[in-house]
Amino acid sequence: MREADSAGVTIELLLLILVIGTALAFDFTNGFHDTGNAMATSIATGALKPKVAVGLSAILNLVGALLSVEVALTVTNAVVKLQDSTGAPNSALLADQGYTLLLIVFCGLVGGIVWNLVTWLLGLPSSSSHALFGGLIGSTIAALGVSGVNWFGDGTKLDGVIGKVILPAVASPVVAGLVATIGTWLVFKTTVGVAERYTERSFRWGQIGSASLVSLAHGTNDAQKTMGVITLALIAYGSWTDTTSIPVWVKFACAIAIAAGTYTGGWRLIRTLGKGLVEISSPQGMAAEASSAAVILTSSQLGFALSTTHVATGSILGSGLGRKGATVRWGVAGRMGVAWLITLPAAGLVGAACYFIGNGIGGLAGVLVVLGIMVALSGWMMARAHATAVNSHNVNDEWHADATPSSSVQAGLAESTSKS
Amino acid sequence: MMQLFGGALGQVLLVSILVGAGLPALVGLGIRALAVSDGGSAMVDDAAPRPALKVIGYLCFAVAVAVVVLGLIIIISSGFGYHVSFANGFSLVKK
Repeated sequence: MREADSAGVTIELLLLILVIGTALAFDFTNGFHDTGNAMATSIATGALKPKVAVGLSAILNLVGALLSVEVALTVTNAVVKLQDSTGAPNSALLADQGYTLLLIVFCGLVGGIVWNLVTWLLGLPSSSSHALFGGLIGSTIAALGVSGVNWFGDGTKLDGVIGKVILPAVASPVVAGLVATIGTWLVFKTTVGVAERYTERSFRWGQIGSASLVSLAHGTNDAQKTMGVITLALIAYGSWTDTTSIPVWVKFACAIAIAAGTYTGGWRLIRTLGKGLVEISSPQGMAAEASSAAVILTSSQLGFALSTTHVATGSILGSGLGRKGATVRWGVAGRMGVAWLITLPAAGLVGAACYFIGNGIGGLAGVLVVLGIMVALSGWMMARAHATAVNSHNVNDEWHADATPSSSVQAGLAESTSKS
Repeated sequence: MMQLFGGALGQVLLVSILVGAGLPALVGLGIRALAVSDGGSAMVDDAAPRPALKVIGYLCFAVAVAVVVLGLIIIISSGFGYHVSFANGFSLVKK
């Protein structure tokens, strides 16, 4: 099963190419999954036209990703034990040109992509880092057992699945929600008695400025994860040896993938965040984005990584709580909460199942079957999404009171087609 | 672990409230100061203009812009592997 076929292509080389391809595909889903985190409020309040908003966010993500000059190669160390602390792959996994490590990473990425598409189809914003980490945890458990997972770190700092993923996820929407609630309350309080015509312009600029910060921070943070994963695969295969830098083409490929994903817009998710949770106005939008930017930057400044999605959602909810008489749709928030809870285990199940299938069948056939599963599931979900397409034209349609994120899309679609 | 977490969370919460809620409030105050300085149709109660307040309005906006620029510096320097430290005023530390 390890011998080269007639063309001289080994399974390991094929796996390496697939890892790079799926990592870039994941980066793309990461982009469109998170456009709304920065831009949903500006789109919903009309501060920016939908196409302009996603264009601006895409450019800032591209710039942010290219700004990442120093990229840590130890991204996976937060949750699994595939690498040592310098970023070099675990030598036990490197036999046969890194076959085991490449298969673990490939299956983990498949888990992340599939779950990102499921939540996108359902119109539920969920964390892309949770999906990626979940997939990797699942495939690692399938390959190495439970001891291959870094649950707590060594206890001297916040580390591992608990310290870097679970606890921050619980805390971030609460912190962001509280900050946005106070910010919204203060904004309305300070501008009582000022004519609305007079306030609107400043609030729009405030919104655009703070949303741009969120986009830029997203580009620097999230594209780095994929850069790290691809470089890990290259090291495992043996075509890259430096653990202190990454190949230039990897950086450009990842930057372009996340920016292209951002530009496609993830309109279903933008709609849920901008219209589904709260009916949002410019002052609320500004308070929400300022809260998101502040929480994201403060926490990364203190070495405490939070998911942009969880922060943005908490902020938008908070902007509804801080405004007297605003409606917050707790049903929508509740469904999102459930999606967050199951993102990590669900992506993990997909990752683990893929590893069992790929490794069980073995060899080329195993790898191709896993690839086939991913392509089939992705294609099916994209076809389903097409039937209830959300785009820049109907993204701001009215949200029907008792709609779920996915059914509101159908209602919205029917409305916009009848109008045209 | 919970102790570490509680400590980090407390800090994040404190700074985030100060900056994240303070910034919108600052913009709100700036808008209010400018509106009061213009008076007339800028205010719901059609009050008389008080031009002196214009300075305060622009000051609020200037501080808000400065905070956003600080945010930009933090993002860009982290891309280059630097950490903005406030221990001795303001400095960049290699990560």
